[in-house]
Amino acid sequence: MGVVEIDPSVTPARERNRQARTAWGLTAPALALMFLILLVPVVIAALLSFTNYSLGNSGFEWVGTKNYDRLFTRSTYEKMFIATFTYVVTVVPISVALGLGAALLVNALGRIGDIYKTIYFLPVMATLLAMAIVWEFMLHPTIGMVNQTFELACGTVLERIPFFANGCAEGFPLWLGDRDYAIWVICFIGIWQGFGFNMVLYLAGLTSVHRELYHAAEMDGAKSAWERFRLVTWPALGPTTVFVVTISCIRAFQVFDTVEAFWPQGGGPNKSTYVMMFAIFEKGVQQNLIGIGSAITMLFLIFVMFLTLIQRWLVERKVHY
Amino acid sequence: MARDLWKHLVLIIGAIIVLAPFYMMVSYSFKSPGEIDRGEGGFFGRQELMVDERCVKLRDPNRDEIAAVAAQYPGKTDRQIREEIMAVAETECSMRPVVFNYSKAFVEAPLLRYLLNGIIVTVSIFAIQVLVALPAAYALAKLKFWGRDAVFGLVLFCLLIPVHAIALPLYIMLAKLGLTNTYAALVVPWTISVFGIFLMRQFFMTVPDDLIDAARMDGMSEFAIVWRVMLPTAVPALLAFAIFSIVAHWNDYFWPRIVVTGSRDLFTPPLGLREFKGDADGSFFGPMMATATIIVTPLIVAFLIAQRRFIEGITLSGMK
Repeated sequence: MGVVEIDPSVTPARERNRQARTAWGLTAPALALMFLILLVPVVIAALLSFTNYSLGNSGFEWVGTKNYDRLFTRSTYEKMFIATFTYVVTVVPISVALGLGAALLVNALGRIGDIYKTIYFLPVMATLLAMAIVWEFMLHPTIGMVNQTFELACGTVLERIPFFANGCAEGFPLWLGDRDYAIWVICFIGIWQGFGFNMVLYLAGLTSVHRELYHAAEMDGAKSAWERFRLVTWPALGPTTVFVVTISCIRAFQVFDTVEAFWPQGGGPNKSTYVMMFAIFEKGVQQNLIGIGSAITMLFLIFVMFLTLIQRWLVERKVHY
Repeated sequence: MARDLWKHLVLIIGAIIVLAPFYMMVSYSFKSPGEIDRGEGGFFGRQELMVDERCVKLRDPNRDEIAAVAAQYPGKTDRQIREEIMAVAETECSMRPVVFNYSKAFVEAPLLRYLLNGIIVTVSIFAIQVLVALPAAYALAKLKFWGRDAVFGLVLFCLLIPVHAIALPLYIMLAKLGLTNTYAALVVPWTISVFGIFLMRQFFMTVPDDLIDAARMDGMSEFAIVWRVMLPTAVPALLAFAIFSIVAHWNDYFWPRIVVTGSRDLFTPPLGLREFKGDADGSFFGPMMATATIIVTPLIVAFLIAQRRFIEGITLSGMK
C-alpha cells in the first residue's frame, strides 16, 4: 500500500456525520422490524384487551376491565392459572435439579460420561410434537408400554407399594384420560424434554469452577463430597443457576405442544391441563374472542418480563450465594 | 471404577427413561399393525409379509373393468376373472411391514411436501434473520453515532418479549393483511431476531478495529465491510446461531398451528404429523410412527455428527 492521501475535505465532524448516517441506514431494517413485529403487537394486545373485538367485525366497543375481571372471577380461568402454575412450579425445580445432578455425575465420569450427555440431550433436539404423540401411545391404558411395564411388577415385592397394589387390582391409571394424572403427565414430559438442556448449561458452568478452590476447601476441612459441593460447586454455579432457572421458567410458561396434541379440544379432563398458551390459542384464535385472548396475552407478558427482569437484576448484582 | 458404579447405574436408569420413547417410535415404525396391537415382535418385528387391505380393495375390478379385460381370459366367467385379478393384486399388495409403514407415510400424506416446506421456512427465516441482524449488530458494535445507546437499549428491551407470547396480536395483524395461510405468515414474525443482533454485536465487539480501518483505507463502503469483512470473521458465531434458529423453527408447532389452517400445501412437518394423527384409525400407528421418525431424524443425525457445535448452538442463549 502506498502513502494514504488524506482528503482535506474529510473533517472529523463530516466523518462523524457520514458514519452516523450509514449507521442509521444499517440499523433501519432491524429497527423497523422490531417496532412492527415486537412492539406494535404488544401495544395492540394491550389496547384490544379492553375491547370486545372479533376478527371479521367492523367495529368494537370499549369494555373497560371486563375482560380482566372475567379472568379473575370465572372458574375456567382459575383452572388456567392453577394448571399453568402447577406446571411451572413442578417442572422448573425438578428439571433444574435433575439437570444439575446429571451434570455433576457426567462431569465426574470424565470422557465416558459424554455418552450420557449425548443421550440426555436427544429430547431437546427432537420435535416435541412428534415425541408427544409417541408418549401418548406409550401411555395408552392397555397396549401402552408404560402400563405393560408396570404390569410386570404384579406378583412381585413391588406390589407392597400402594400404587402397584391398586394398579394390579383395579388396573393402572388411564393417564391422559384421568383428571388426577393428566397434568402430572404433562409435567413429566416437560421434565423429560427439558432437563438435558439444563444439564448442558450446568456442564458449561462446571468447567469454570477452579480446581484450586476444591483443594482450598479440602485444606479448610471440607472432607465430604457434600461439603465440597455446598462450599465450592454450588456458589460457583450461582450465575448459571440464575440463568437456568429463568430460562426454564420462560420455557415452562410456554408449554403448548403436548397439551394440544393430547387434547385438541378443551385442555384436558376437567380442564386440568388448560395452560395459558393453550387458552390464548383457544379463546383468541379458535373462538375469535380477541379481547379475552389479549387479556391473557398481557398477563402472560407481564409474568415473563417480570421473571427476566429479576434474572437481569440478580446477574447485575453478580450473585454468588 | 467400582466407586463410579453407582453413578453409572443412576445414569443408565435415566438413559433408559430418556430413550424409551425413541426406541418405541423406531420400533413401531418397523412393525405390522397386528404386532403393535399385541405388543410382540421385539425391536424389528418379524417382518412377515403382510397384505395391504386398502391396496387390494383399490384394485377390486368392477363390471366394466372385467368386461374390458375379458379377452385376456378366454373361457372364464366374470367371477373367475375377478378372483384371478384379486389373487394377483393380493400378491402384489403384500409387503414387509417396514416397507408398508414407510411407503404409507409418504403416500397417505404429502410428507415430502411437508419436509420441503420445513426446509423452505427454516432456511428463509435464518437467511432473513442474518440479513437484518448482521448490519445492525455491526453498527451497534463498531460505529459511533448519536442514539446508539438508545437503539441498544431497545434491543435489550425487546429481548424480554417472546414471540410466542404475542402470537395473538401478530395473528390479527397478519389476518388483517390477508396473509394467513401463506409462507409469509410462517416466516415474517421470526425475521427479526433481537437475540441474533445481541449475539452478533457481542461477537463483533471482539473484532479488532484495525481490521475495519484497513478495509476503510482500501475504500470499502461500510455496507461492503459488513458483508466482505465482518461476515467471514463471524462464521463460527453464525454457525452456532444457525443451529439455534433452525432447530427452533423446524420443531416449532405453535406458530404454524395458528397461521396455517386447512391448506396442506403449507404444512410444516409437525403440522403434517398432527393431521396424520387426526385421520389415523388404529391400524395406522405404524405409518404414523414412521412419519414421526422421518421428521425427528434429520436433526438427531446432524446432532450426532456435530455434537459439540449443536450443544454450543442450542445453549447459545446461555452466553448472555
